[in-house]
Amino acid sequence: MLEVTGQHRECQEQLRKRARDLLASGEIAAFIGYGNGSLPWVPRPIVVRSPEEADRLVWNSFLTLNLANYLPGVLKELEPPRRRGEQVDPSTLPRVGIVATGCWSRNIVIQVQENQVDRSRVHIIGISSRGMISRHSFKQALGGKEALKIVENDHEIEVTLSHGETMVLSRWEYVRPNCKTCIHPGPVVSDETIGPPPGRRLVDERFREIEEVEAKDSQGRWEWFEEAFKDCIRCYACRNACPLCYCPTCFVDDSRPQWVGKSIETPDALTFHILRAYHCAGRCTDCGACESVCPVGIPMRLLTKKLIKEAQMLFDWEPGMSLEEAPLLGSFSPDDPDIAILKGGEKGT
Amino acid sequence: MNWEPKIIAFLCNWCSYAGADLAGVSRLQYPPNIRIIKVPCSGRISPNIILDAFLKGADGVWVSGCHPGDCHYISGNLYARRRLVLFERLMEFVGLEPGRLEFSWISASEGEQFAAKAKEVTERIRVLGPNTRLRKVF
Amino acid sequence: MRYSAYRIDRARLIEAINMLGPGFDVRVAPHLETGESGPGENMVKTFMFPQPEVLFTFKKAPPTADDVDLLREPSLPHTTTLLFGIRPCDARSIHLNGLAYEEDTYFWHRIEGAIIVGYLCKTVLSTCFCQRVGSGPDDTRYMDVVMMDVEGDHDALLLHGITEKGMIFLSQELGPLLIKCGGAKEEIEQSLGSRQYPKDTNTLDTLLSSDLMALYNAPFWDQLKDGCLNCGICTFRCPTCYCFDIQDETLGAKGRRIRYWDSCMFPLFTQHASGHNPRGGKIFRVRNRFMHKLKYFPDRFGAISCVGCGRCVRDCPVNIDIREVLDNLLEVARS
Repeated sequence: MLEVTGQHRECQEQLRKRARDLLASGEIAAFIGYGNGSLPWVPRPIVVRSPEEADRLVWNSFLTLNLANYLPGVLKELEPPRRRGEQVDPSTLPRVGIVATGCWSRNIVIQVQENQVDRSRVHIIGISSRGMISRHSFKQALGGKEALKIVENDHEIEVTLSHGETMVLSRWEYVRPNCKTCIHPGPVVSDETIGPPPGRRLVDERFREIEEVEAKDSQGRWEWFEEAFKDCIRCYACRNACPLCYCPTCFVDDSRPQWVGKSIETPDALTFHILRAYHCAGRCTDCGACESVCPVGIPMRLLTKKLIKEAQMLFDWEPGMSLEEAPLLGSFSPDDPDIAILKGGEKGT
Repeated sequence: MNWEPKIIAFLCNWCSYAGADLAGVSRLQYPPNIRIIKVPCSGRISPNIILDAFLKGADGVWVSGCHPGDCHYISGNLYARRRLVLFERLMEFVGLEPGRLEFSWISASEGEQFAAKAKEVTERIRVLGPNTRLRKVF
Repeated sequence: MRYSAYRIDRARLIEAINMLGPGFDVRVAPHLETGESGPGENMVKTFMFPQPEVLFTFKKAPPTADDVDLLREPSLPHTTTLLFGIRPCDARSIHLNGLAYEEDTYFWHRIEGAIIVGYLCKTVLSTCFCQRVGSGPDDTRYMDVVMMDVEGDHDALLLHGITEKGMIFLSQELGPLLIKCGGAKEEIEQSLGSRQYPKDTNTLDTLLSSDLMALYNAPFWDQLKDGCLNCGICTFRCPTCYCFDIQDETLGAKGRRIRYWDSCMFPLFTQHASGHNPRGGKIFRVRNRFMHKLKYFPDRFGAISCVGCGRCVRDCPVNIDIREVLDNLLEVARS
């Protein structure tokens, strides 16, 4: 069981009310949100299809998946079957409601930019994120014990463990690093917002994790990379949790040519992670879903964050900030920095 | 030790490949370590291809296309420029030795520049030694 | 009769394991030392199904030779693998997978060369549900040697040989390194009592007698699939998910055929060469995983293909809970 009090409680009530109203009025046919699951620290992404079900919706600090990931699928599911090439007026199709924080809304912007989502079919309820708890460090804090019940207030998380023990954790301490340094906790696009405005974050430390790795020499970085990524079991949870990954056939599933071997051998696993990260270049909003779902704790978010840093330095680019922008790598400028002259980190840029 | 570096060069059909051709017909010497693969445009080069070369045992990869502004397809190399600079930064971040990946713009009339670059790349990779990171062996 | 029973300190036992000869490939479960509850990391699965598993290697024939060894099977190891301290659920997974791998040489070579030293669970986690699937925290079937905690003494462990293989190992290999303790035999017998498994066959019977199509067409699947990411965490964590794929990998003039884990959650799992995919949608894949474990496998082999370790429940990022699926199926089956 997970209970919330304070700001999140208010958000949760308003969210339920608004989702119920929207579903009841017929403005939307489904609402994507979170519900409670069987384990208190893992809320379950749900699709609410009737006003009565809206009370299942929850809002708390454990929402580490990016709900934008489900949006194209739910939209598609609601479309009536049509013949190949048949054109349908999108305004006649059922609409979908979704709750979105800063990064989730930025991912919706990217989905619109990349023609995966029709903005007019989506009703976004924006909530400014107060930062989500890292499942990995939360687990660590419990020291191998099981959380049976969690009660969350604005600044503390009270955990009931087995044998009736309790533990109180300071919320901010366990917030994920990407949330702590988030540049945009509030929604970028929304049809309505609920809850208080976003608080301040440690934006100055935004790239500190990256700089720590960059400070190593090439050999040191390689050793770090190999050590941190070698345990990958190739479950592809990072890929599947990512709202950017919607290709009908992923590069890892290509067999002719086969870009990367299928087993868990280190060169294959590392190649998978490099390519997965690169495919998110100029698109990743650092929502942290990939890292949160990883069952073996691989810090794959650092690869995409490095690309965010470079895109910002080289092209002054922040992904998902405006519906009108063209994708970074789907466009160019004659004044782009020249790769044949510019070299990477160690050659001094 | 008679290890010789193997370098895969992806050259665009319209400029760099013709530049290599000119180096050949002009009887310019350059190291035989360069294995050329002709591609329609430097914009065709996806990181998948570069990593595939490393996985299969290449010691270095060199991508070369038309000078920016001279692309046969108007803008292919300008897309490539954006994509590959980010890729190179990522590769160096994960510890690929700087210098294993080379990018250049060489036109059809630059046979000498081609030969000089081939020498430069080969010597640099010879110093780095065989590629052991990201190489698949069994 | 080679009866063997020992009572030993935890620390001394670990010392003794480390002193075993080089003929043993010793793999010790971490909870043997910590005494932590639950199944722990899945060392049994990686033992049963190493990946990549090389089935054979091959190379291109040199143009002149006519008797070269073109195809070569890997030499299978001759060491005895000692799986020390695995939980009853994981021990049972070896048995269940064996049903499906009946004719697999590679699998049986490993299993027959292994000694399973099981470790009964004193306490269970909230996600454990072995009792519901025909087993229990003190299920000693499928073990060669059983090990258990002593009530009121954290440091002490009781060991007891069950199979011939286990007794020989205990009396000849590990026994000489341990100090025999009077009364251990009686204590173990008293503790084990007359336990019988499966205790509860109600779940299995209900599933077996249910109508397959009624379960398949149950309405709850549609909601269940909503959250699913179609990642492979549940299948790769599961000790009874045994599906694999085979591929030939080549490097220059040589190559190898490897077997590695596959997951029914991936679209590629059922993709046909024609491009058609019989399980193209998310719902088909989610449903298949549970139907296979809870209906198809029982229908064919007479046992639920789940040992109740709860790893999938704990590791699923979207909290798809097989216990709820089981409840839903039983409800449909009973109506």
